[in-house]
Amino acid sequence: MEATREIYWNIGHGVVLPMYLLSMVAVAALAWGIWRRVPRYRLGKPLNRFDSYEERVKRMIADVFGQEKVARVKDGGLFHAFFFWGFGLLFIGTMLVMIQADFFTPLMRVNILSGEFYKAFSLVLDGAGLLAIVMLAGLFARRFFIRPEGLETSADDYRIHVLLFAILITGFLIEGARMAVTELRQDPGLAMFSPVGKLVAQLFTPYAEENIRTAHRLLWWLHFVLVMGFIAAIPYTKLRHIFLTSANAFFAPLEAKGTIATINLEDESIEQFGAATVKDLSWKDIFDADACTSCKRCQERCPAYSTDKPLSPMKVVRQIGEQAESAPDGNLVETVGQDAIWSCTTCRACQDICPANIEHVNKILEMRRNLTLMEGAFPGDEVRTAVGNIEVNGNPFGLAFAARGEWADGLPVIGMESGQEVDILYFAGCYASFDKRNREIAKSFVRICAAAGIRVGILGKEEKCCGEPVRKLGNEYLYQMLASGNIELIKGYGVKRIVTTCPHCFNTLGRDYRDLGLEVPVEHYSTYLHRLLESGRLEMSPDDFIFTYHDSCYLGRYMDIIDQPRELLAKAGGRIREMDRSGCDSFCCGAGGGRIVAEEKLGNRINVARVRMARETGAPLLVSNCPFCLTMFEDGVKTGGFEGEIMVRDLAEIVAARLTV
Amino acid sequence: MKVLVCIKQVPDMESHFKPNGSGTWFSESDLAWRMNEYDEYAVEQAVQVKEKLASEPELTVLSIGPDRIGEALKKAMAMGCDRAVHVQDNDSAAKDPWQIASIIAAYAKAQGFDLIFTGMQSQDRGSAQVGAIVAELLEYACVTTIVGFEFTGGAVTVKRELEGGIKGVARLKPPALFTCQLGLNVPRYPTLPNIMKAKKKEIQTIAVADLLREEPLSATTSFHAPARKGGGVVLEGDVGPMVDQLLAILREKTSVLR
Repeated sequence: MEATREIYWNIGHGVVLPMYLLSMVAVAALAWGIWRRVPRYRLGKPLNRFDSYEERVKRMIADVFGQEKVARVKDGGLFHAFFFWGFGLLFIGTMLVMIQADFFTPLMRVNILSGEFYKAFSLVLDGAGLLAIVMLAGLFARRFFIRPEGLETSADDYRIHVLLFAILITGFLIEGARMAVTELRQDPGLAMFSPVGKLVAQLFTPYAEENIRTAHRLLWWLHFVLVMGFIAAIPYTKLRHIFLTSANAFFAPLEAKGTIATINLEDESIEQFGAATVKDLSWKDIFDADACTSCKRCQERCPAYSTDKPLSPMKVVRQIGEQAESAPDGNLVETVGQDAIWSCTTCRACQDICPANIEHVNKILEMRRNLTLMEGAFPGDEVRTAVGNIEVNGNPFGLAFAARGEWADGLPVIGMESGQEVDILYFAGCYASFDKRNREIAKSFVRICAAAGIRVGILGKEEKCCGEPVRKLGNEYLYQMLASGNIELIKGYGVKRIVTTCPHCFNTLGRDYRDLGLEVPVEHYSTYLHRLLESGRLEMSPDDFIFTYHDSCYLGRYMDIIDQPRELLAKAGGRIREMDRSGCDSFCCGAGGGRIVAEEKLGNRINVARVRMARETGAPLLVSNCPFCLTMFEDGVKTGGFEGEIMVRDLAEIVAARLTV
Repeated sequence: MKVLVCIKQVPDMESHFKPNGSGTWFSESDLAWRMNEYDEYAVEQAVQVKEKLASEPELTVLSIGPDRIGEALKKAMAMGCDRAVHVQDNDSAAKDPWQIASIIAAYAKAQGFDLIFTGMQSQDRGSAQVGAIVAELLEYACVTTIVGFEFTGGAVTVKRELEGGIKGVARLKPPALFTCQLGLNVPRYPTLPNIMKAKKKEIQTIAVADLLREEPLSATTSFHAPARKGGGVVLEGDVGPMVDQLLAILREKTSVLR
């Protein structure tokens, strides 16, 4: 006898009509539930996330079916991924049964669910069901017994757990009841391919066949009603994430990480800059709130949240959703709160880890734009002063712009105004130009280039702040003024390649300036020096040292430059002791998002927290790649009481100290 | 109601100042320019008056100088002034406070301003005379160095700074002139829509020759850095010899060890 089973056994084909009618009702409830949310998304401004169809679909498939982002965090993520795959297989199995029973059998008289395929089918589905139950039990234990900090549990969670357990368990009970009457008696060999069903069937064997059949029918209907309930409940509970979070993988931004919409300041029809209400955000920003599963990964990685500041990226996303529902014309900035909005360091840790492709950072930037451009607000008077300084002197310190190039006095650099040929333009940035400690970075970089025979040009007093801090504080107007000045200058000199020592300048010149017409290749010195070393132009005499390395947000998370600086340091003789939070999981120094010019008045200090993490590796040396980070860490060493325990150096200083010439 | 704000564009005080060719004022090369700090308080106060009186007053901002002062006038308009008067003068730095005040008074005389605000002094020349002289020439009541301002029932109550941290309160009726001191208010940061609007506001240009009738009463004869009065000494080396050196210096040059 060929291996197969009778579909609708004990139920009868008469069930088909009511079954399909009820299914249609459930699917209609699902569709309507999602459709009724659409007007809420339409409150937002238009944004095209339906372009590049193919790429979006590919990403969505990898994200959803590969569970890539979910499983990146093992805690909870692995349970979710395996549950998803188990439940997914059961769904596919059920679809196969449907196709077989209601299309192949009546229309074509073929049975695909037979023979070896049926055995495999049966075994896989049994395994999938078991996997799903075990994973669900894991998720259950995590949520209700382990209770990770920050994980919020609502009534939805109770209902969903009960529903899913009930569906999975009734599924096995139906199988067991059927097998107790059929396979166990008629084809015990085949029962081997349903190991879980076989076990469950043993529970039924003591009872009379008639009773088992009655129980089977009842269980079948219960299972069916539960599944229909599950489908219908999707849009009305957290289960909506099945569709909305998956859709968000399709809607995820395709442009370079960190891209910020460049406001057209020539457009006189714009009356509102930034977001005062949810209506000033895009539809995707409102949609994001629905795609959020409250997994709290963003929150626990947020440097502001971790240091007791009133910002949780998760809460901001939720507040936008709530505001869209309850008061779309209400003041969003007030709802979220200025303290929360100004606390963000734009470090992107939230967005990077988000399994739902939510874009947290630009929402906060849009609210900052409203505060800055519409209300002239600042996070503090020191920021007001720094911004004024940037306006007047092109640097946040308020030092004379004419002194900007003085750091290079006596060093082999070429002033671009001399018209001489250069290999690279070194865009030094404010900190390396003016700050005493950070000038060491600029000097080191120039010395390294000289050793490698690179002719370095600088803009000197003509260079202005790249505009990054003010842009991240929401001041698009001042940013564009600074940017256009710099761009005109750089274009005028016919520069072929720009190298920066500051990741903030690097991101801004290399990505943001593109929108304003700068096409010159821009590079951070870590990759530039790495190439010089690889090509043999740069030589170092290594010596043995132990260090830990801090990935600045704007080099690591924003630009994925993680290995090259480590390789440079290894070639310098360094042995690394990694911090727990490194690479794309790095923890911000606290200076991003314009916070470099702001005092940290709320909660405790981010820079001290980070220096403590570095100290915990036992390494006596913390190497960074960013003037802002260096500033924060030098300060963190002092204020955190780590003097004499750990030193802070920039990558350029380490390399410069080991030059062979 | 008409309000006038007189402002000056000054070099940023962090700039590196060098004497000009004639050695009578600073050279303008490599300087960053901004609105005189005290004039920012004046602009802010005028805008606050306008806001309080529900936009009824017309705010005129006036400045004397070369083309570059257009930036300062635009900023004042972005902060809320309605129109600007640019007294075109490429040689304004050479004019003494009497001439500057005379130019302003010559303009303001026929205009019938009810309130005039200006800074208590400029950050570069710092004479603190212009406001008071303008009031005198126009025969306006005048209060200098105000740190508080209230306009109610057609009269003005101001607080002004006196010596030794004491404050005085004065009440007066327009027309009146006030010079503004630090502490009066926090000048607003112009919003983008207001910056855009300011670009379309009128700037009336008047040649300085049309307003200037007076000869200077004082002249700046020299502009130079203060003479060096000896420098610091940094002792270096081992602690022992450094102590000896220090003791020798203290014995020789001071009386602390005698």
